[in-house]
Amino acid sequence: MSDKQQIKHNIEKALANENLRGALGRFGNDYVGARERAYTGKDFEELRDQIAAVKGDAADRMEELAGRFTESAQARGAKVFRARTAQDAKDYIKNLAQEKGATKIVKSKSMATEEIHLNEYLGRQGLDSVETDLGEWILQLCGQKPSHMVMPAIHMTRDEVADIFSKETTQELSADIPQLVELARKQLRKKFLAADIGISGANIAVAETGTLVIVTNEGNARLTTTLPPVHVAVVGLEKLVDEFDGVKPIIEALPRSATGQKITSYVTMITGPTPAAYPDGTVQEKELHIILLDNGRTEMQADPVFKEALQCIRCASCLNVCPVFQLLGGHVYGHIYTGGIGTILTAFFNGFQEAGELQNLCLGCERCKRFCPGKIDLPKLIRELRSRVVEKGGLPGGQKFVLEKVLPNRKLFHRLIKAGQLGQKPFQKGARIRHLPMFLAGLTEGRSLPVIADKAFRDQARNLSVPEGPSKESTPDSKEKVGFFAGCLTDFVYPQLGQAAHKVLKHLNKEMVFPAGQTCCGVPAVLMGVRESAVHLAQQNIEAFEQAGVDAVVTCCPSCAQALKERYMELMETDPAWHERAKALAGKVQHITAYVADKSGNGSSLRLKQTGGRVTYHDSCHMKGCLGITEEPRQLLAAAGLELAEMDGSDLCCGFGGSYSVKFPSISSQILDKKLHSMEAANAPTVALDCPGCKLQISGGLDSRGKELPVKHTVEILAEKI
Amino acid sequence: MAGSKQEQLFTKFKEQAEAISARVYRVHDSSAAGRQLENIIKELNIKKIAAAKSGLVADCLKALNTQDVAVHTSDLRRHAEDAELGLSEVDMAIAETGTLAQDSTALDQRLVSTLPPVHVALVRIDRQVDKFVDAVDYFNEQDLMPGYIAFISGPSRTADIERVLTIGVHGPEQLHIIFVDQAGGETCE
Ligand code: SF4
Repeated sequence: MSDKQQIKHNIEKALANENLRGALGRFGNDYVGARERAYTGKDFEELRDQIAAVKGDAADRMEELAGRFTESAQARGAKVFRARTAQDAKDYIKNLAQEKGATKIVKSKSMATEEIHLNEYLGRQGLDSVETDLGEWILQLCGQKPSHMVMPAIHMTRDEVADIFSKETTQELSADIPQLVELARKQLRKKFLAADIGISGANIAVAETGTLVIVTNEGNARLTTTLPPVHVAVVGLEKLVDEFDGVKPIIEALPRSATGQKITSYVTMITGPTPAAYPDGTVQEKELHIILLDNGRTEMQADPVFKEALQCIRCASCLNVCPVFQLLGGHVYGHIYTGGIGTILTAFFNGFQEAGELQNLCLGCERCKRFCPGKIDLPKLIRELRSRVVEKGGLPGGQKFVLEKVLPNRKLFHRLIKAGQLGQKPFQKGARIRHLPMFLAGLTEGRSLPVIADKAFRDQARNLSVPEGPSKESTPDSKEKVGFFAGCLTDFVYPQLGQAAHKVLKHLNKEMVFPAGQTCCGVPAVLMGVRESAVHLAQQNIEAFEQAGVDAVVTCCPSCAQALKERYMELMETDPAWHERAKALAGKVQHITAYVADKSGNGSSLRLKQTGGRVTYHDSCHMKGCLGITEEPRQLLAAAGLELAEMDGSDLCCGFGGSYSVKFPSISSQILDKKLHSMEAANAPTVALDCPGCKLQISGGLDSRGKELPVKHTVEILAEKI
Repeated sequence: MAGSKQEQLFTKFKEQAEAISARVYRVHDSSAAGRQLENIIKELNIKKIAAAKSGLVADCLKALNTQDVAVHTSDLRRHAEDAELGLSEVDMAIAETGTLAQDSTALDQRLVSTLPPVHVALVRIDRQVDKFVDAVDYFNEQDLMPGYIAFISGPSRTADIERVLTIGVHGPEQLHIIFVDQAGGETCE
């Protein structure tokens, strides 16, 4: 099977697995609250700034720190081995076991040893290497791989575990969790007491002191590092920090972000060998071997963009908050490191080609970015990965044609849409407007087709009226000239949003203009990794708004707003002149809802009709997560006399993700199901939101399920109340 | 440390430690600690104890009526395996998280707090700190970083099967913490 087929196959399998969805779904829901409570009294932003500084510095000086660590640890009596490859590390351990005449090994949880498939290897050498972390042991017994970095067996049920343990102990066990845990304790206790070597990982390695820090709950790492007379620690180079002080922010954030605990049951800090009991009954210093593992890490360090991924502390919050992970679990990713960060790590540890298919799983909702204690911009890294894969391997024919040829050519692009030629060659078979541009695409499963409007907003905009004369309560900025950026969905599918925006702005005594030179914001091209087209589109838009000479730029779409505000500067990074122009534009851009709230005293000066009613509000990913706008729409809706009925998980993704709903319709549709469910439970006659993409996804979903629940952009609601 | 500050820390510690399933007691002196230990022994029907030596542990054991229970303070690698209770003195209590901290370089300290199903920890009331990072600083300020620092917060736990929290996996399933007001003798600096 090709990578692509393999992933498709894994997805279908995961979606069919009810247990998995139950466990992950429950966890995903609990996690956010538990984490929040654990951080009470802590300043998360400050902590993650500190972690980013400590780990960023360590990444910059990785080689120097590895040297310093080696010296410090050796001075305390440890043996340090630098393993360049996975094989080097495995050979070292094999040789050590041979030299000691050791056959029995206990292991505590370590992603680095999973990464190099140490257990299988040691098994083939005739060594009995036992995982002692409960989840890892379960997986070892049934020959599976971890699906989550922190909770490796989260995909399994108690019944499955009972079956596995029954087989292992040849007795009939019931699916009673405390009993299963007790059995594991007894079985593994024997292994601990008999082991010749203990193998662990480490969460932090301190260069200054040669200290290893290990964070656990079960207590197996304490036994692993206490009982056997030989301790081997396998430590990835990214675990290094320079000073002992650097431990502090990491130890504060890791348990809180990983499991919502203020602290784990055990934190162990080991510096040099400590006494151990030998089989002959004597107590002497043990042997401590520390393997510093490279395996692709220096390559990552040398990469100006991906270096950032070395700031990861492996807390797995980026998995826990990912709507795709919640649905599919980790096995879909096919490698040890899963989720968004897993995609990046896989690229370096297993190769770009494999990761190339995985990055497609990202919805681009950017939720993980808000949660990452390493302050890693994962969405950016995934976009970068995408564009490098595309640069190397290219896009499939139809997509390539659209993104490289059609999209940058505004006239051709618009003519094609208008001509309704969307389903014809050279586009892919099947659905009509499939790949034009990715925004307009989401057809198929679980959602009705968007209808291209008879008259695009750009054609309606020629006759936009201008406010007549100065208003009575004229303010200094009331004559402001506001440029309207439509974006594809407003322009071609929902021109009524443009009309509503115009009505509201006019009511505020603003002159709204529509620069006709504007085009697609470029997000689809960015997301598909076609950087050149994205740059081209960005330049067209910058020019169009410069020529229009506007004071402010507004748009109904938070994704477009983010593109204009941030992405363009990122795209122009290497071109100072264009970067300046992008920056000037960025400074003027606001989402329409924030703009209106700003200019109307949160709606008070709009003097809206108070007809009463209830509404529930969906926080779009890019609205809340990227633009940080949550209060303004709620204030405006309240100003319109509407009572807000909050839904559960108002900020959970609706599954739109631009082209995503096309690439993975079944995933998208299940994420949508979840959203619709909580939306209906809020029991309000109207859904309000601030993104045309979400509007398309949600109203299409409701429609195809035969539900009549109007879904309106905030600006539409305001326009109705004027 | 001012008395009221100490009381505040103790209140906070107790709340946090109990929230993660530890049991917290407070006694006047080491002989009262011995009586508290006796209560625990009776309640759990303990027959064998492995204890890591310290001044406070010795005083506490002196006050214990040891007729029905075997107490071992040496050859612990052998005895801790089947002891039902491990006893030790820890260096520090961290209020913010309900955590105990100890320089566990000596093997015995680790054996009695990892192998037996019940761990009883003695701690001097004046050895409390507020924040976790204060304890990290404390160890960092020592001339030589201790070989094995243990931070213990509640009994051992897992949520690896269906995310159901289960107390007591590889480490102790019960953690009892006895604060001693007037421990007497040296503080274990
Ligand atoms: S990328 Fe960030 S959120 Fe994800 S595991 Fe690493 S530190 Fe945690």
